[in-house]
Amino acid sequence: MSGPIGKPTPFIDAVQKVTGQAMYAGDYRMPNMLYVRFLRSTESHAIISKLDTSEAESYPGVCAVVIGKEIPISFGVLPISPDENAIAIDKVRYKGEIVAAVAAETIEAAREGAKIIQVEYEPIRLFLEPEDSLETCAFHEQIHSHTKNGKNIHKTAELRFNEPEKEIKTAAHVRREKFKFAGVTHAFTEPHSTIAVWNGDDTLTVISATQVPHYLHRNLAKVLGLPMHSIQVKKPALGGGFGGKSDPFPHEIITAYMAMKTKRPVKCTFSREEVFITNHGRHPTEIDMSVSCDQNGKITALDTDIIIDGGAYGSFGVVTSYYNGVLLQGPYRINKFGFRTRRVYTNKPQCGAMRGHGAVNPRYAVEVMLDMLAHDMNMDPCDLRINNFLPENTLTVGQLRITSNGVRECLDTVRMKCDWDNRYGKLPSGHGLGVACGFFISGSALPIIWNRYPQTVVHAKLDFDGRIVMFSGASDIGQGSDTVLVQIAAEELGITMGHVQVEVADTKITPVDLGSYSSRVTFMVGNAAKTAATKVREEMAKAIAKEKGVIAENLIFNNCRIYTKDETVDLSWEEGVEIALAGRGAFVESGYYISPKLGGTFKGAGAGLSPAYSFGAFISEVKVNPNTGEVNVIKIWGAHDCGKALNPLSVEGQIEGSIHMGLGQAMSEELRYKNGQQMNANFFDYRIPSSLDTPDMDITIIESNDAEGPYGAKEAGEGPIHPVLPSIGNAIYDAVGIRMMELPITPDKVLSKLRGGE
Amino acid sequence: MDYYHSPSSIKDALSMAGKFSGNYTIFAGGTDIQIYRKQQLDTNEHIIDLSGIDELNSIATKEGILHLGAMTTLDEIISSDEIQLHYPLIAEAAKSVATPVLRKTATIGGNLLVKNRCVFYNQSQAWRNGMGSCLRDVGTICQVTGGKKDCYSRNVSDTAAALIALGAEITLMTPDGITQKPLKDIYLPCGIKFHNLEEHSILTQISVPIKPKKWWYKKLRLRKTLDFTSLTVAATVDINSIARVCLNGVSMSPILVEQTMDTLTQENLTRQARKNCKTVDNDLMPLKYRREMINVFLEEWWDSIEII
Ligand SMILES: Cc1cc2nc3c(=O)[nH]c(=O)nc-3n(C[C@H](O)[C@H](O)[C@H](O)COP(=O)(O)OP(=O)(O)OC[C@H]3O[C@@H](n4cnc5c(N)ncnc54)[C@H](O)[C@@H]3O)c2cc1C
Ligand code: SF4
Repeated sequence: MSGPIGKPTPFIDAVQKVTGQAMYAGDYRMPNMLYVRFLRSTESHAIISKLDTSEAESYPGVCAVVIGKEIPISFGVLPISPDENAIAIDKVRYKGEIVAAVAAETIEAAREGAKIIQVEYEPIRLFLEPEDSLETCAFHEQIHSHTKNGKNIHKTAELRFNEPEKEIKTAAHVRREKFKFAGVTHAFTEPHSTIAVWNGDDTLTVISATQVPHYLHRNLAKVLGLPMHSIQVKKPALGGGFGGKSDPFPHEIITAYMAMKTKRPVKCTFSREEVFITNHGRHPTEIDMSVSCDQNGKITALDTDIIIDGGAYGSFGVVTSYYNGVLLQGPYRINKFGFRTRRVYTNKPQCGAMRGHGAVNPRYAVEVMLDMLAHDMNMDPCDLRINNFLPENTLTVGQLRITSNGVRECLDTVRMKCDWDNRYGKLPSGHGLGVACGFFISGSALPIIWNRYPQTVVHAKLDFDGRIVMFSGASDIGQGSDTVLVQIAAEELGITMGHVQVEVADTKITPVDLGSYSSRVTFMVGNAAKTAATKVREEMAKAIAKEKGVIAENLIFNNCRIYTKDETVDLSWEEGVEIALAGRGAFVESGYYISPKLGGTFKGAGAGLSPAYSFGAFISEVKVNPNTGEVNVIKIWGAHDCGKALNPLSVEGQIEGSIHMGLGQAMSEELRYKNGQQMNANFFDYRIPSSLDTPDMDITIIESNDAEGPYGAKEAGEGPIHPVLPSIGNAIYDAVGIRMMELPITPDKVLSKLRGGE
Repeated sequence: MDYYHSPSSIKDALSMAGKFSGNYTIFAGGTDIQIYRKQQLDTNEHIIDLSGIDELNSIATKEGILHLGAMTTLDEIISSDEIQLHYPLIAEAAKSVATPVLRKTATIGGNLLVKNRCVFYNQSQAWRNGMGSCLRDVGTICQVTGGKKDCYSRNVSDTAAALIALGAEITLMTPDGITQKPLKDIYLPCGIKFHNLEEHSILTQISVPIKPKKWWYKKLRLRKTLDFTSLTVAATVDINSIARVCLNGVSMSPILVEQTMDTLTQENLTRQARKNCKTVDNDLMPLKYRREMINVFLEEWWDSIEII
């Protein structure tokens, strides 16, 4: 490849971001803009027995007060569980839920207005822990009326293949263990922010910090009762999402509704505490898992029962429930396989999708259990894994189609780099190494809402200024998708990246893309962009070939020149553009991506399907202080198979970010609750590892060149997080011989185990 | 800004304090107090910012005694050759406070007077409305113990532990004159009124007399930087073999055990320390663990002494 593809490429928006020039949602200001603040529930589960907004309505500066009944249509990112209202109607389900909204001339007036709304509650039975929600309760006590059998179970996802439970009873080596994981949250830098404008032509423009402009677009239309063609959703520069901005949110709908109602621009920006309360982070999880092996160290069966604590609403929970199970089908061959996940509603802020969606906690469990089995069998944990890897081009037991697969190379690489064979099991007490592997989807093969459209479309426009503009609905949330669009066009057309610009994530201007979730963007948008740019090249070549009397296929686009090998034609890019546009002017070419038809026909077969899967292997090195239980993660070696690194700089960044985020969940991050109230809803008490806590990282990119990915690429944004956590857990075992079955692994838990407690 | 005042002398500051009596807040670096303002835990109308008073910013040694102006920043203390060489314990404690960026503004005076903390109190107004406010705020019960009388918020000053272990004295100025007293005497075992400073006092100077023969310092926290302490232990042994072991972060005020090494044993040290600590479950680290760590830290100190 002669262009920028495969070369470390700084993001096109990097300078703008670091100099403060980039416009985030919070930076937008409109003339006559109103500000929205909320009255939030101080109860976890209660009937709203009185709600009197009259005083607030006459408070100086207040322009509108809205309560739930005014916006009665429910919504949710998944069409199967639209269980949320923009503002609580009749009852509240968690502390912090929005009970009323106030729009006013100033933030202060909006805040004061919200304060003087009179509200009274009648508390209902609380369901704070999953075990509470598994109990039967009276109908009026249920968190949602739609759950069955008098319980607060939102979803039970279950799949079984080949009776794993039978195998587990008789296998040579079996382990059954229980694990517990605290909830964690995305902790992105930029708080949620939305501006809505009601335009003179009776259309609505919403500028929002979102990863999913398309789903916001759809849900706005549904709840506000507007046709989709009257709504424009724009995503400006975005300061991180990690799944935390991948739902349509109440505040977005309320802000838009306020703009419709007042006919004035309206803005809402969250405080950090509101971001925490809004959550949608990783589910607190309890896992009961059994894994068996035969005499030769082949995994024979896996069976697991999982409970995930969804909080008050559905969000992505149905998908999360499936992902907890189905994404255990790799990277090892397991032919007898079963899982059941129950997602319960509780009276806490809702959980949803977060980097590594649904698969992080069960990955910890299975990788720790493989480590235990390796010890039981006196086998090296790396060898046990190698013994069980899925090959390339195969189907898993649940018919996930594995194509390229670099997991073996990943493991060999980290094993060699950390000198595993000479050091594992041989380090002094308190010092250890641990290994783990992982795999993840490169985009969900199925759209969230069933339809007959492609999953993404990209337009490439060429005009006589010689500029290519790539139009894509893709949402750059800091992961660099805008840069990938530019790289691809420059690569295909042999021009500089400076010749290419993007127009992105604007539902009025750009073709639909489903959003930045499930690690789909580089794979799907990349493929569509490549097609669109290739078509522009072909159009140009056709015109030039005709004019110059050569064969179109013989024209080479490189280095801002268009030439034949024998140089009978040798044009500058601008000359080529002139010929191509003669008599027709600017033109647009279009590319799209639809995932191939994949998977089985059984119920639930769609979960976890992806056109390709990434793989990885990580090794962690830790030191444990036996007196205090403090764990120091000193180094992590990570090797990740992303197919082909279109931009090695950003792939490395994703792996480093995954290590940091995985480390946080493993060691210190945890959303704590007391009586349903978050105890640490701020960046001081929610403890993200600092730079001093972050280990040295040794990162290797493995390229397995996937046949279907653009230039061979697969995902790199989520897969690298999975092996991080269990590699740390396993290293602690190597260091001090204890198994950490509960995350985060705080010093008190380590010390208690070291002293023989549970 | 008629609420913000920036005096350029101690005298001016004191007269402002008199003028706004009962309704002012002193800002040193502001790194602690600003959060109380934002969370509406400090609602005084007037701010008296001491950062314009140059005479409060100094590091000097006179006749073997180290004098620190109250407005000296922690960063200046850490990078002072004099302190690094002769008072490494102070440097070490200062270095364990907050983060490098905060230490560029945070002052030693502010650190000694940092407000007591509790997970049920150091929260936003909205949060407190949700949980119910407590004794120290406008409520009637302690959210930790359910009691109606006592507040157990923790003194978290890291440098207080170090400076008390060094036997530091402080100078306070009031409109009535100057007082000097041992640093340890300003702390009260009460979570609500944790200092006994007279009204209108300004802390101007910290004086450190002893260069200990041995010193030891350790801070317990989940992350290697940023976090407030869950337990700080600073200990010294002077040339007369007097041990001064000061614990902070585990009670309403720093706990000092001062005794000659001739009679001190590890058991009685631990017993004295544990007896005086009123540790309750108001930190993010679990109570049981924090209590265990008192023993572990004191044991580590004891072992280190014996080695030397
Ligand atoms: C993220 C973060 C982490 C932190 N970590 C730590 C930590 O690890 N350990 C720790 O001890 N602190 C920590 N702090 C708190 C604070 O930063 C430090 O205690 C700092 O040293 C306070 O100094 P300051 O000059 O900023 O004090 P200020 O905030 O200005 O003042 C603190 C208090 O002292 C009073 N005061 C200050 N100077 C005087 C004076 N000369 N006379 C009379 N009254 C005075 C003020 O009125 C106020 O009540 C942290 C703060 C933050 C935001
Ligand atoms: S210890 Fe009790 S009274 Fe004191 S701040 Fe905490 S909750 Fe309030």
